[in-house]
Amino acid sequence: METKNRESRTKIKIRDLWFSYGKRSILENISLDIPAHTITSVTGPSGQGKSSFLMVLNRLWPEIDGARARGEVNIDFGDGFEDINRSGADLARIRRRVGMVFQAPDPLPMSIFQNVAFPLKLLPKTRRKISRDALFSKVASALKQAFLWEEVKDRLDDDAALLSGGQQQRLCIARALVLNPGILLLDEPTSSLDEDAVHRVEQLLLELKKDKTIILVSHYTDQVKRIADQGLVLRNRRLVGHGS
Amino acid sequence: MSDIRDRVMAVYCTGAALVLVTGLFTIIGFLVIRGYGVLDATLVFGDVPVVDALLLKRQVFNGLFPAITGTLALIILAMGLALPLGLASGIYLAEYAGRRTKWIFSLMVDILAGIPSIVVGLFGFSITVFLHNVFPGRIFPCLMISGVALAFLVLPYIIKTTQAALEAIPGATRLTALSLGASGLENLVYVLIPTCLSDIVAGVVLAIGRCAEDTAVIMLTGVVATAGVPTSLFAGFQALPFYIYYTASEYAGPSELNSAYGAALILLGICTGLFVLAHWIRLRVGRRMGIPG
Amino acid sequence: MHRGERLARRVFFIASLLSVSVGLAVLGFMAALGLPVLESGMLWPILTDPWSPDHGQFGIAAMIVGTVYIAGLSLVFAFPVSLGTAFYIEVVRPARGRVLEKLVHLMTAIPTVIYGFVGVFLLVPLVRDLGGQGSGMCILSASLMLSVLIAPTMILFFARSIARVPKSHLNAVAALGGTGYQKTVYVILPHAWPGILTGLVLAMGRAMGDTLIALMLGGNAVAAPSSIMDSARTLTAHIALVIAADFDSIEFKTIFICGLTLYAMTGLGILGVRLCGGRGQ
Repeated sequence: METKNRESRTKIKIRDLWFSYGKRSILENISLDIPAHTITSVTGPSGQGKSSFLMVLNRLWPEIDGARARGEVNIDFGDGFEDINRSGADLARIRRRVGMVFQAPDPLPMSIFQNVAFPLKLLPKTRRKISRDALFSKVASALKQAFLWEEVKDRLDDDAALLSGGQQQRLCIARALVLNPGILLLDEPTSSLDEDAVHRVEQLLLELKKDKTIILVSHYTDQVKRIADQGLVLRNRRLVGHGS
Repeated sequence: MSDIRDRVMAVYCTGAALVLVTGLFTIIGFLVIRGYGVLDATLVFGDVPVVDALLLKRQVFNGLFPAITGTLALIILAMGLALPLGLASGIYLAEYAGRRTKWIFSLMVDILAGIPSIVVGLFGFSITVFLHNVFPGRIFPCLMISGVALAFLVLPYIIKTTQAALEAIPGATRLTALSLGASGLENLVYVLIPTCLSDIVAGVVLAIGRCAEDTAVIMLTGVVATAGVPTSLFAGFQALPFYIYYTASEYAGPSELNSAYGAALILLGICTGLFVLAHWIRLRVGRRMGIPG
Repeated sequence: MHRGERLARRVFFIASLLSVSVGLAVLGFMAALGLPVLESGMLWPILTDPWSPDHGQFGIAAMIVGTVYIAGLSLVFAFPVSLGTAFYIEVVRPARGRVLEKLVHLMTAIPTVIYGFVGVFLLVPLVRDLGGQGSGMCILSASLMLSVLIAPTMILFFARSIARVPKSHLNAVAALGGTGYQKTVYVILPHAWPGILTGLVLAMGRAMGDTLIALMLGGNAVAAPSSIMDSARTLTAHIALVIAADFDSIEFKTIFICGLTLYAMTGLGILGVRLCGGRGQ
């Protein structure tokens, strides 16, 4: 009963979104709703703004030279909708609440443990003070969520760069999960992985969907069919498909 | 037809490479053959027992020890001044400067890097003259002035290697920490600098080599032929490269000349050693991080 | 946190402002100390007179000629060798070339004073015997040794320009059965010549800026040289030799004109390179 209610709730409301790099227009006039606790796939020809779309959703775009996004991106973080694209919004706070996993695994230049603990280290001072045991259990639970714990629990102090590609990608997912964000964005997370690792990541996403809203850029149509609840298609700067 | 031209080109290029290598090996070989025999503890410490010399219990008069310690003091002083300034400037140019500022500033850094070292020395000397006029009779060319001038000489190298190292970091690596809620400074401290640290350290090691080898700057700003182990920032000092230069023209006998050969070989060893160290740092650490060296 | 961010930015900015002002301060000091000499109608005498402080003549023309002579000749020696070596590394024997390239890299670490020292005891006697007259300390000795110093600068810059030629173009020539010579003439040289020119300018700057080799091997005569077996003095060596003079003498002040001249020559070279699109090393 309760699950049904939650599924029908809208998590993200985008209104009249325009995106450009310098003079090149990337996205035009996009409006759509994304329901909570679903997996939404984003597909379309390459170079047509899929990654830019994700960067709008966690307000990462200001870090790219020449990028500009106009329009409303309303997200319900639990206490009503707030427009994360408004000027003056706290970027760090938004990014902590909307997790992001990039196409290529990008472990930070530190140990496995430190990689996952890193986002906790960035919290504002008042929230950063947690005991070492609490820190450890948070890191461990994120690694367990990402199905990586068993493989790394005996080598947490190893350099993260020593992990295999599939392990690195799950480490990045664990890193995105450690702050328990309500929304998870993934940009072709399986494109550099072998078949076995792809399967593991897909299972993981289906598991995470129970309490998160997931948006997944993918160009594998079979993958989209397997796990997505609904799909968006971007072509020629516009949203051309929207549905399940 | 083109076959012959091809062969002519190959012969020419091989010949050029041979000329270069022959020239280099003649220079190094000459130095090694003449200098190898004199390399021993006496060369450095004279007739003073090694431990006494190192503990500064007794002065070394007829060895290279004062010159070596002088060069060391110079390196520490110059790098101590140039390193913080150079790192911070390199970071600003790579990470913060707008396009126009960056163009002008890095042009100025290039020009600074191109200034002949004797002119930098002259600058150091004119600062001394200036200070001498302000504080009459108190400031003369000395270790401090040499250190400052030498810091100016290596500053652009440190700036340029720091800037280049940061700019070589791929865009994706820059976004990771930001996407997790890091501020620009946190990204810099936790991710960007650790990622390119090996390149920066390698550049710093090369800059140390420049401090060790430079002669023109220090000969205008305070180096002298005899001063003993440096004990004051405001006194003259000895240095290895100046000793080599000075002895080449002023040597009084074969034993002095021999010690100059030894000094040249030691300096060559220090500088190539630092170079190999820099290369090794870049290669070993750089490859592991997946960044081409 | 935002305060820390702004503070850091300000610290980095001030540091770079300080660094940049060093370059300007050098120029400022040279100008402030040197230009007053020119104001008293000395420009013409300084450019044309001989250097003879005892007779009140402080001309630096001979040193400018000496600088251009020695640096130019070293370029003449080093350029063909450097170009050949760069092509050896990149085109003729790329596999063996990697080792050679490392060696050339290593050469950049050899102290100038070492070249000067070996020059005094190996090259100068050789040139003296060969020339059959004089001390052997002459333009030829200095520029030969100087060419060894500047060769790595050129080789590495040339090799980098050659390596930057698009592989697809080279493959296209190779697919037509083109030889190394044809690749060089039809593809590499048309693409790489701006880089080669830049390397030449930078090497010239390095040659003019060097002090020790000219000072130790050039003989330091103050008369304008007429042949490569003549002794000559460069601006850099001149500064090193005159520095001991009295602070308030005109003699001393004219060396700032030398400094200014050197600054202008190297600075303009770099500005030229930059305006033509390249960034120094």
